[in-house]
Amino acid sequence: MYLIKDNVFSLITGRTITQGISMESEGKFSKEYFKAVALIEMNPTDVSKLGIRDRAKVIGECGEVVLPVKASNDVPPGVVFIPMGPWANFILSSITDGTGMPTVKAVRVAIEATNEEVTSLIDILKAVRAKSLERIPQERPIKTGEKKVFEDVPCPFCGDLCDYLRIELDGERVVRNIGGCAISTAKFLNYHKDRVLKPFIRSGGRLVEVSLNEALEVASEIIAKAKYPLLYGWSNTCNEAIELGVELAEVTRGVIDNTSTICHGPTILGAQEVGSVRSTFGTIIQLADLVIFWGSNPAHAHANHYARLVMSEGKYVKGRKERKVVVIDVRRTPIASMADLFIRIEPGRDYELITALRMAIKDLEIEAKEIAGVSKEKVLELAEMVKTANYGIAFIGVGLTMTGAKHRNLQELIKLVQELNEWTKFAIIPMRGHYNVSGANNVDLWLTGYPYAVDFSRGFPKMIPGVTTAVDLLSNSEVDAALVVASDPVAHLPRRAVEHLSEIPVVVIDAKWSLTTTVADVIIPTGLVGIECEGTAYRMDDIPLRMKKLVDPPQGVLCDTEILSILLDKVKAKRGVV
Amino acid sequence: MTQIIIRNGLVYDPLNGVNGEEIDIGVKDGRIVDPSEINVAEAINIDAKGKVVMPGGIDIHSHIAGPKVNVGRLIRPEDHYLTNIPHRLPYKRAETGLTVPNTFKIGYEYARMGYTLVAEPASPPIKTRHTHEELNAIPMIDKMTFILVDSNWIALDLIQGGEKEVLAAYLGWLLYATKGYALKIVDPGSDVAWMMKGKGIDLDEQIPGYNLTPRDIIKATGEAAQVLNLPHKVHVHCNRLGYPGNYATTLKTMGLTKDITKLSEKPVLHITHVQFTGYKGDSWTNLESGGEDIAKELNANPNVTLDLGQVIPGRPATTMTADAPFEYVLYHLTRWKWSTSDVEVESASGIVPYRYRKKNYVNTIQWTIGLEVALLSRDMWRIYLTTDHPNGGPFIDYPKVIAWLMSKKAREDFMRELSQRALRKTSLPAIDRELSLYDIAVITRAASAKLLGLEKTRGHLGLGAEADIAIYDIDPRRVDLSKQYDKVIRAFRRAYMTIKSGEIVVRNGEIVRTTYGRTIYVKPELPIDLLKDLEKMISAKFKQYYSISLNNFIIGEHELKKGVEVALKTHLR
Repeated sequence: MYLIKDNVFSLITGRTITQGISMESEGKFSKEYFKAVALIEMNPTDVSKLGIRDRAKVIGECGEVVLPVKASNDVPPGVVFIPMGPWANFILSSITDGTGMPTVKAVRVAIEATNEEVTSLIDILKAVRAKSLERIPQERPIKTGEKKVFEDVPCPFCGDLCDYLRIELDGERVVRNIGGCAISTAKFLNYHKDRVLKPFIRSGGRLVEVSLNEALEVASEIIAKAKYPLLYGWSNTCNEAIELGVELAEVTRGVIDNTSTICHGPTILGAQEVGSVRSTFGTIIQLADLVIFWGSNPAHAHANHYARLVMSEGKYVKGRKERKVVVIDVRRTPIASMADLFIRIEPGRDYELITALRMAIKDLEIEAKEIAGVSKEKVLELAEMVKTANYGIAFIGVGLTMTGAKHRNLQELIKLVQELNEWTKFAIIPMRGHYNVSGANNVDLWLTGYPYAVDFSRGFPKMIPGVTTAVDLLSNSEVDAALVVASDPVAHLPRRAVEHLSEIPVVVIDAKWSLTTTVADVIIPTGLVGIECEGTAYRMDDIPLRMKKLVDPPQGVLCDTEILSILLDKVKAKRGVV
Repeated sequence: MTQIIIRNGLVYDPLNGVNGEEIDIGVKDGRIVDPSEINVAEAINIDAKGKVVMPGGIDIHSHIAGPKVNVGRLIRPEDHYLTNIPHRLPYKRAETGLTVPNTFKIGYEYARMGYTLVAEPASPPIKTRHTHEELNAIPMIDKMTFILVDSNWIALDLIQGGEKEVLAAYLGWLLYATKGYALKIVDPGSDVAWMMKGKGIDLDEQIPGYNLTPRDIIKATGEAAQVLNLPHKVHVHCNRLGYPGNYATTLKTMGLTKDITKLSEKPVLHITHVQFTGYKGDSWTNLESGGEDIAKELNANPNVTLDLGQVIPGRPATTMTADAPFEYVLYHLTRWKWSTSDVEVESASGIVPYRYRKKNYVNTIQWTIGLEVALLSRDMWRIYLTTDHPNGGPFIDYPKVIAWLMSKKAREDFMRELSQRALRKTSLPAIDRELSLYDIAVITRAASAKLLGLEKTRGHLGLGAEADIAIYDIDPRRVDLSKQYDKVIRAFRRAYMTIKSGEIVVRNGEIVRTTYGRTIYVKPELPIDLLKDLEKMISAKFKQYYSISLNNFIIGEHELKKGVEVALKTHLR
């Protein structure tokens, strides 16, 4: 496969804003999502070199997909980009090298011109042996009439948890979202669409509508009978629900893991080794005069972030004009064009650049002329910038966690920032994706001592990255049942892990039709936290906020906390723990 | 509800002046009642003959919940590896951790030691919702949290502006908004200096960006606490904590009580974990104990109280404090892990794992300071047993500290393992005093209840009191407490029985059920006119300083699992 060197590329995957909007509005089965996610971005020189007309076959370690090609100068020659989603994951390996995190950036792939049909979602789902492709999306009935306005609403989308939205309602229909980004607006205005409104169980290969009690009965049977269940997701629900999830894992002697396992898990592993240097948005607005985005593209993944934190005026720093912005990334992301300094780094070589910076700030001689594709002069320039800042902040993205040395990148970066505090004030904030992934880590920590991948097989908590992490548990066929809450592993885990979900009984609790519903044996509808249900969530800087309930959940639909309480009681009864 | 009668126990109940007398105690509907009110046929009969009966223990300062405790768990996975206790469902959840245990272990260990109320002493206001979530998750005990106000930009603006009344009203509002119980000052002004300059400051140094010194903050906050009529006045962690020579700053801080106008009979300032701020000498090599000087000032000044912050040599610790600049200094000594966090415009924190070594010169000096202060103090009602968990050592070592206080032999035996060079420089080896069980009951429950202003219903076994009771299996008439101190340790480590709010939760040192206690917070009454102006002021300041909206800052009563509000009549007009 890698014999012909000319067609070997470095694949980067990641979020895009159209991926986010289409996912939150029309859902992952829609044309919009297909258009947004099923594509590959390549440098025009590579496109012509390979003689590609409009599509290409991308061959990875675990499979191949045919994708439409978008020529773009944002990716350098030799590098290609596919938005995160089923197409990218289909060709990625599930090997985590003992970290729990598969390599999804800087992955070697072969690309060739082709005339074959573009791979459809159905092709992929069939290939991973999804249990059935049936889905019964419904619009939630909406009463209209009374006009209502809610102020200071926290947004249940990304880790920025913007808590200044003004949401205007016509009865139960959201008519305006003021203050929210494009994805936030899509989420609120379309919250009623593509819903799971009834409980279903799979029977004879078909989804059958059942009563809530019956669905919970079957679900509790699956979970109570399992020898070693995986309880996965948790980043898109409230802390109160996660606490119940931990108890469920303890009662069943299973594993509870959240999505940080494939996101900022390595950042957490880095902190376990050396500590961390953190700050909050308020401090940054008031004091930060240097902002670095490293491996992070807030323009797409956290759309309000830049305006909120970089443009804002603080007591000691008067907005953008008194702040320097540095972007370090493998491709020219939209945020790069707004930066004072853009540093393009070779994929997967962040560790080297961080090490060089650690040397440079200590005035140690760097012999190499170029480090990770960055000239020595640029390294020295950056070192001078970070050393002379009054208050620096590094917003770090999954560009650092999913690539190259993974948690070692973060360990090295934390050491760098710890050392920078000899000269100045400097801190790190990981750009958390889901709105409550930070809460999921915090709840797990206070109840079990570990932030994710918590195993209770011996009746007490333990965490072993690479063993008790979801990708490893699934791809090594360790678990014999799964409960998925507020998450879509079929869309976001590597192929081999998804295949195991097709082989074991799966219970899904979700408000919307996810790809994971195609492997579900029980589907339980739930209310959306932050719109239909209350609860606590933590911002990426660990600021806790209370998510608001604006409308009642649909008739007959409960919130995550209620569903999990009942499930827990039923499982306890079945396992004789009462 | 359950009725219990405890017969023939030796009762130590200092608030009622009971010193080891055989008294029967009745429990009904969660309260202490006269034994005659108990229906003996229905009641649980407990024979406590040859056992010690005390009110439930009260810990006034132990870092058990909130953001920095959780970061401690995060950066110390190794703290859990060898400390696991599997669950015993449905009675007991799984336990893990030594210095930063999970919430279950915290509750269970306190209950197993006969403790029933614990105060988390340092929560940054904006993250106090998190603190409450953890308090909600801690089983067995009642709890409360103190709110950090030492480097709060809004408070500093008001102090600088000389707006005493508005400051008091703001702090009162803040306590209620965060469902806190008392005001906490940590290394005042230093987190401002830390955020802006990366350093800490002393009592009379200027705070960057303000025309103020830490002295001004303590004074202004102390007076606000008087005006608000807070049940627990101001809880102070002194400037220069952890530095050689800092005992001078501590003495000056203790002396500030005379500058604060008193509006109540209670002591004015509580100086916390005084061991960490009791260092004489000007470097680590010539460090000496300032314990004697501090005890002398304590004896002379009735308006100040102290807790020990005793260190436990031979144990790992996880130091964690809102004194961010000091943790950075400590990191330079340990060079292992360091975690720090700047929190909005109000606080910062640092966390560094540490181990107190028996043969270490400095660690031995530290060990003597806490004990010296306690043993040289004449008024046991103004001294409280703490290890500043998990800074000086884990709270599960309180029984060891009790043994050191009660037995000269315990001290002497332990001193053999310590740095002899250090011991020669301290007065501890020459101190003969041994505290009695009564004294221990004072410094671990009776005085603690009084300090928190809860002495009406807690910390004693009089009629109507909350039925929080600890029974320890030790008979002072048969055991020579001064010589057989290992028996003292064993008895206090695992209570024979713990009764929480009238229910038996521990039997023979084992948890028999998982219950959840209450969270106590204050609501200072603010005059309506004042409140209106105040809200306008706070709203404007929030827009200027904070990254969340005012509405989302306020913690609702329903966010506490079992909240108990203490309404306060204030002196605000």
